[in-house]
Amino acid sequence: MIYPKKNNIIRLGFHLYVRFIVARNFNAINFNTIEIDQDKSILLIANHSGFWDGFLLYWLRCKLLKKKFHIMLLEETSKRIPALKYGGAFSIQKKSRDVIDSLNYAARLLKDQGNMVLIFPQGKLYSNYVTDIAFEKGVMNIMKQAAGDFQLIFSATFIENFVHQKPTAYMYLRSAGQNNFDTISDLQQAYQQHYNNARQQQTQITV
Amino acid sequence: MIPARRVKLFSNWFARYMRFRMRSYFKRLVVMPFKPKEGHSVLLLCNHFSWWDGLWGNYLAYWHLDRKLYIMMQEDHLRKRMLLNLFGGFSIDRTSREMIKSLQYAANLLNDNENLVVVFPQGQLISNHTTEIIVEKGIERLIKNIKGPCQIVYSCALIDYFESLKPSVFFHLYDCGVAGEVSFDELTERINSFHQQALKAQVDVEH
Repeated sequence: MIYPKKNNIIRLGFHLYVRFIVARNFNAINFNTIEIDQDKSILLIANHSGFWDGFLLYWLRCKLLKKKFHIMLLEETSKRIPALKYGGAFSIQKKSRDVIDSLNYAARLLKDQGNMVLIFPQGKLYSNYVTDIAFEKGVMNIMKQAAGDFQLIFSATFIENFVHQKPTAYMYLRSAGQNNFDTISDLQQAYQQHYNNARQQQTQITV
Repeated sequence: MIPARRVKLFSNWFARYMRFRMRSYFKRLVVMPFKPKEGHSVLLLCNHFSWWDGLWGNYLAYWHLDRKLYIMMQEDHLRKRMLLNLFGGFSIDRTSREMIKSLQYAANLLNDNENLVVVFPQGQLISNHTTEIIVEKGIERLIKNIKGPCQIVYSCALIDYFESLKPSVFFHLYDCGVAGEVSFDELTERINSFHQQALKAQVDVEH
């Protein structure tokens, strides 16, 4: 697996680059504010419909979460864009023995309250119009190992244009209060409920 | 009401220019295979959720459906962009009695089988994630007034990002029948079921 690399200069470059491309390509980014527990790390669970998700949630980190950013990526993506490891990316290779290492590493990160870990449990890209979210089970392993150390946050992202040429991103956040989900289906169900609510709110928007 | 002052030469330039603009802005413009009926004009009903919709209508008319474009626009919008008047834009003011004139004008255009009229049946910008398309009553009057053979086509445009930072747009086109042979309620029902189909098809789209 590929671990994040520390290099403050490249990290700063990455930070400025992400801020620049997000500001340049989006008309606005809307999100709802939630309370952040400063004594705990953050496990951020999000839907995955495009390459922008990581960048938009990095932007969210800068505005709201204010923790050290880490993101779990597929090994292919990390190899294709090696620079991402300076931005806090670590890799996971599905169906290999390395999976355990990646999951353990994520759980270790969550033990430090200054960190946040972003995971897309869907495991691959799905259309933004998908109605049922299916999770892969690895995330449960992380949650069990780091139980009690992190605040679990659900995010659902939708990108729409409306009157503007450039799109607007809508991020719906919810802090999942009690994070003692026993099985992956409990977690999936809780996320699905949040996702349905978010979609419902999104479809109410008219201009 | 402002009638269209379509100039063929300018419209051709505009179509070429906009194709260039769209090809550079979008990663892919995917039009699902669809052939309009020969000898019929086309009433193209599109879902309305973005700044691009009208321009996509132009793109479909010029490059895929092979008809002369006319497009129904809100009067205040058209007044701000009178250049579009030269490319086939005519106005409708939903608050005045002139609305009937605009609908009659659109119907007359559709008597000529070389023409295509783009109408947004929702009448306002509504989120792309909506599952229900509300068709405004005016469409009923428009269709009743068409004398010549006219095919009604529903175009559902959906945006997804997938692996790219540029958006891709997918056009799902469906034949809703011929004007005069399909009642308004039937049409609404068909549009809604086609919209659901398009949302389902989008989830499985290749990327």
